[in-house]
Amino acid sequence: MAAPLPDSTLFAPAAGAAAFTAERPRRRAYNLDIWIPAAILVIIFAGCFLWPLIGPVPPPVGGSILSAGAPMFSPGHFLGTDPVGNDIFSRILYGGQVSMEVALAVNAIGLVIGGGLGSIAGYAGGIVDAVIMRVIDVLIAFPFLVLALAISQGLGPNERDVIWALSFFSVPAFARISRAGTLRLHGQTFMLAARLSGTRPWRMLLRHVTPNVMPQVATFALLGMGVTVILEGALDFLGLGIPDPSPSWGNMIALGQGTLSAQPSLVVVPSVFLFVTVVALNLLGDALRARWGTQ
Amino acid sequence: MTAEAGAAAAGPSSHWGPAAPAAGAVLRSPMLRLVGRRLLAAIPVLWGVTLLTFAVMNVLPGDAAQQLLGANATPAEVHALEVKLHLNEPFWVRYGHWLGAAVTGHLGSSIQSGQTVTSTLAQRLPLSIELLAYVFLLTIVISVPLAVLAARKPGGVTDRLSMMLSMGGLSIAPYVLALLLVLVFAVILRVFPAIGYVSPGESIPGNIRSLTLPAISIGFPVACVYTRLLRADIVEQMQSEDYVITARAKGVSQWQILVRHVLRNSVFGLITLIGLNLGTLVGALVIIEPIFSLPGIGQALLQAINSRDIPVAEAVTLVFAVVVVLANLLTDLLYAVLDPRIRYGRPTA
Amino acid sequence: MWTKKRQPARLGLAAAAVAVALVAAACGSGGGGGTGGSGSVTGTPKHGGALTVLEGSGFAGQWPAGLDPATNTNGAANQPYMDSIYGQMFELGSKGKIIPDLATGYKFSNGGKTVTISLRHGVNFTDGTPFNADAVVWNIKRDLKSPCTCKPTWPIASIKAIGSDQVQINLATVFAPIIASFIDSTADWIASPTAVKKLGEKQFRLHPVGAGPFMVASNTPNSVLVLKRNPHYWQPGRPYLDKLTFKSVGSDEAAYEAMLAGEGQVYEDMSTPDLLKQAAQHFHVQNQLSTSPYDLQFNTAIPPFNNIKARLAIYYATDFRPILQHIFHNLYPMTQSFTAPGGICYQQQVPGYPAYNLAKAKALVKQIGGLNVQLGTINVLVAKETTQALQTEWAKAGIKTTIHSWDLGPLIQQFTGGKWQAMIQTAGAYDPAVGVGVGFRFNSKSPFSGVHDPHLDSLLGQAAGTLDMGQRCKLYGQAAQYIAQKAYGPFYFSFAPANIAAKNVVGPGLTSPLSSVVVTPNVPYEDVALTS
Repeated sequence: MAAPLPDSTLFAPAAGAAAFTAERPRRRAYNLDIWIPAAILVIIFAGCFLWPLIGPVPPPVGGSILSAGAPMFSPGHFLGTDPVGNDIFSRILYGGQVSMEVALAVNAIGLVIGGGLGSIAGYAGGIVDAVIMRVIDVLIAFPFLVLALAISQGLGPNERDVIWALSFFSVPAFARISRAGTLRLHGQTFMLAARLSGTRPWRMLLRHVTPNVMPQVATFALLGMGVTVILEGALDFLGLGIPDPSPSWGNMIALGQGTLSAQPSLVVVPSVFLFVTVVALNLLGDALRARWGTQ
Repeated sequence: MTAEAGAAAAGPSSHWGPAAPAAGAVLRSPMLRLVGRRLLAAIPVLWGVTLLTFAVMNVLPGDAAQQLLGANATPAEVHALEVKLHLNEPFWVRYGHWLGAAVTGHLGSSIQSGQTVTSTLAQRLPLSIELLAYVFLLTIVISVPLAVLAARKPGGVTDRLSMMLSMGGLSIAPYVLALLLVLVFAVILRVFPAIGYVSPGESIPGNIRSLTLPAISIGFPVACVYTRLLRADIVEQMQSEDYVITARAKGVSQWQILVRHVLRNSVFGLITLIGLNLGTLVGALVIIEPIFSLPGIGQALLQAINSRDIPVAEAVTLVFAVVVVLANLLTDLLYAVLDPRIRYGRPTA
Repeated sequence: MWTKKRQPARLGLAAAAVAVALVAAACGSGGGGGTGGSGSVTGTPKHGGALTVLEGSGFAGQWPAGLDPATNTNGAANQPYMDSIYGQMFELGSKGKIIPDLATGYKFSNGGKTVTISLRHGVNFTDGTPFNADAVVWNIKRDLKSPCTCKPTWPIASIKAIGSDQVQINLATVFAPIIASFIDSTADWIASPTAVKKLGEKQFRLHPVGAGPFMVASNTPNSVLVLKRNPHYWQPGRPYLDKLTFKSVGSDEAAYEAMLAGEGQVYEDMSTPDLLKQAAQHFHVQNQLSTSPYDLQFNTAIPPFNNIKARLAIYYATDFRPILQHIFHNLYPMTQSFTAPGGICYQQQVPGYPAYNLAKAKALVKQIGGLNVQLGTINVLVAKETTQALQTEWAKAGIKTTIHSWDLGPLIQQFTGGKWQAMIQTAGAYDPAVGVGVGFRFNSKSPFSGVHDPHLDSLLGQAAGTLDMGQRCKLYGQAAQYIAQKAYGPFYFSFAPANIAAKNVVGPGLTSPLSSVVVTPNVPYEDVALTS
């Protein structure tokens, strides 16, 4: 959905990025293609998570109505205030925390559960593979919005439930990637050797499959984070995401949309942060893939 | 498109399986066996989707009767209507009824409007299909020229520019793009409508105009993804495929090789990939249709969920699922037709 | 009379009306005079032409249950369509004035227990069958039998046709607002009995037939409704328009953009103050006469607001002026009761109303050992902003507030669940006894009331059973005073959303103010025209 194709966007940038960099010179002076996006991400992460701890940042909610609607670059409000007087810069920082926490958690869950399921399916084959992949197929064919709606309306939206809702679609994506990676290992001699020497299946999975599939899955997680940030916003757009007034970049855009033509900055500012972060995540994922030679 | 790229993007991973097992099936043709297998495999998937939808709708607080009667209804009134609509029966009984009817092609009527689900779909599906077709066209029109220009001279200025553009494009959130497009092209320039749908019956140009901004919102980020895939594939083929080397040895110009041979191969792969993604693309309708007030099935699904209208929600998710499953199957078939390296042995995802 | 049998408010249109009310509250939009729009309206109405009206999908833009008066639970929200297709028995004009439409008049007899309504003679439905007393009786009986709570909730004993042009309703008890209550109940819309029987209910709700100024050309539920002129409409020279299209739009912003792009000439119920300012630069912004003030409801059945000191603390801690100024741009008049400028018995000041006093609020909070509040409202931008602003204000008095917002469905569940503590809503109607009137929020029997006070019930019941207007208003004055004295719910300001119209459009409610029916006014589209 949102982003715009849940499944394929998760996959496609991965595939696209990997393909693009594949033939680039592997070693580049200073590895700028890695360091620049990494530096951007570090700045954004540090800004969102550390600056509120040390800097003079007002709380993101509970602003005074008397300071409502201040324009950008107002004294004390670098990015202005929203219609109820909250400082927008503060909301960007705290909102970034939420957006990134969600992105990290969703991809961690996808990596562990989805990656695990995919490896098991790929390694075991047969009926296990068929059953696991059929369930994954159901999840992929099922409009994940319906689940997100159910979770949000059934449990009441909050950050934890947003994470679970989004995991319903990161898990199948990771499962497919890691299954494909595992299948590719099947013909490899070291696998054959290990198996012939009587290694038990669980040990095989942990000692031989996981380390080989991991780089591929991990770089995929970076790209997946970009998608998750966008999808989290899509949930907010449907009123299913982080509940107001707590900020996330997505719900700041969604809220600002209501007065777009009157106060475009309420939409533009969080959109810019969201865009830069997603680009940096994609660039970094792309570069790491090329670096590690995983496709 | 290489098999790998396709697999990574699509998941038909069968070609990594062991060689085809000894035949013995009645149908020896691998193609027919594949179709049969995939159709059989689709049945539990579709069944799972309907069950999941039913379960999810059932879990949601509040039911259709309460929604229909409004807030002032007494519990007795709500109960009476529930009995009338069979909403009070146990979950499995209701699901059984629905499934039994659905299998025989009866999708029931909307609880809210009383309109048959079939006519709801007939009213709304054409718009969504048209929109997706437009998206499809758009992605080709954007990604092919961009990829070809980029691949002509890998690492050149055009290549870098188009790769930057596509990286930006694939990183943009479709809903943000939709807002920007409306602001620029509808409000400021007034060249495209901001909302609403004009049916082809009313006006063909109007129809196209009404779907342009939604199609770009969905299609542009996707097109950017494809641009990168296509470019990479072309570059790879230009460097390593035997026929390219042969052609080059025969003195065929670089440009001719690219357009006549390589592009033809790559674009076919691209189309199958796009076709496959159409399945998942339908999800984008749920967000984009409401933004542009388009009465398609995405909007219908959202409304059905909010009003707890199970028959409509079931039908729409089923349509979505069928599209996904069919797209997967078609893609696999196309791969099989095209790429003899792929063998079909194991049952696949 | 709020006797045991009576439903609290008429609210046939239950859900919708609630929605409305809430939305209204929520929306908090366009009432006052401030924005003013593009000044005076010029141009003479011309016949013919097509008009596209945009309706917000959160409110009027949803008609999932179809357009049959007996089954449409969204009726209050769907009044623009229903009125255009069926016409109205009675219309609400400016300042709560009731105007006969398909009815021509009424009279009370038998001490107020019998109402005789006379009907317009010689009117036909658009299927050619006659609109007469039998049709009206058939419709109202059908409305009463419908499983939906949108049926008329009068204390009715019997109803019968007298000849072909008169309908007699006998009531069990006197019910003063019976005529007013036509306007926001399904009884206002008379469907063609022949068409209902011929098409069957399922088809009829999609292709309704009435005697109104327009007839249905095509209907895509919740999205687009296309109407065409009824050539045989009873009123000569009306309607002006040949074609009237209603389109559902996602939000005020989307509607405003669509208007700018020329895809609609009218948008009803704009509720975002910031956009009203913008819109006034390009369109005519018509603010309406509000009938429904914003109020804060307390659930007095459970802590903390079963304690009058907690309720008083909120009264004292709330200063609505900065909120009115910054969020609502001072568009609306402040009020202390459930009456408003667009309705009857308007009384702005209430003697003994506990006004803002931070010191007193702090003292009370201290006295009761702190106050934690769950404050909710509907999921609409300005409503949410209002709760945020209140949260900050109350914090100054030491009150800790958690805020929530819900879509209509879940919001209703909050009320029916009984666990809610405080809600920002609207309360009031053109006649306090109808619609989302005072009883809707304050009568023991209403599911949307947090107050269960027999004295208040009986005051409101007496008012509804009093035919003399002066006497009725006096009773409502007493009720307002009693609410303030018991600190049952602070009132903030009189709200009504605004209508936006392109400059070549003229019509009541679009270019001149109307009173609101259920928070929003009913624009009579037969009188709307393009100008030459």
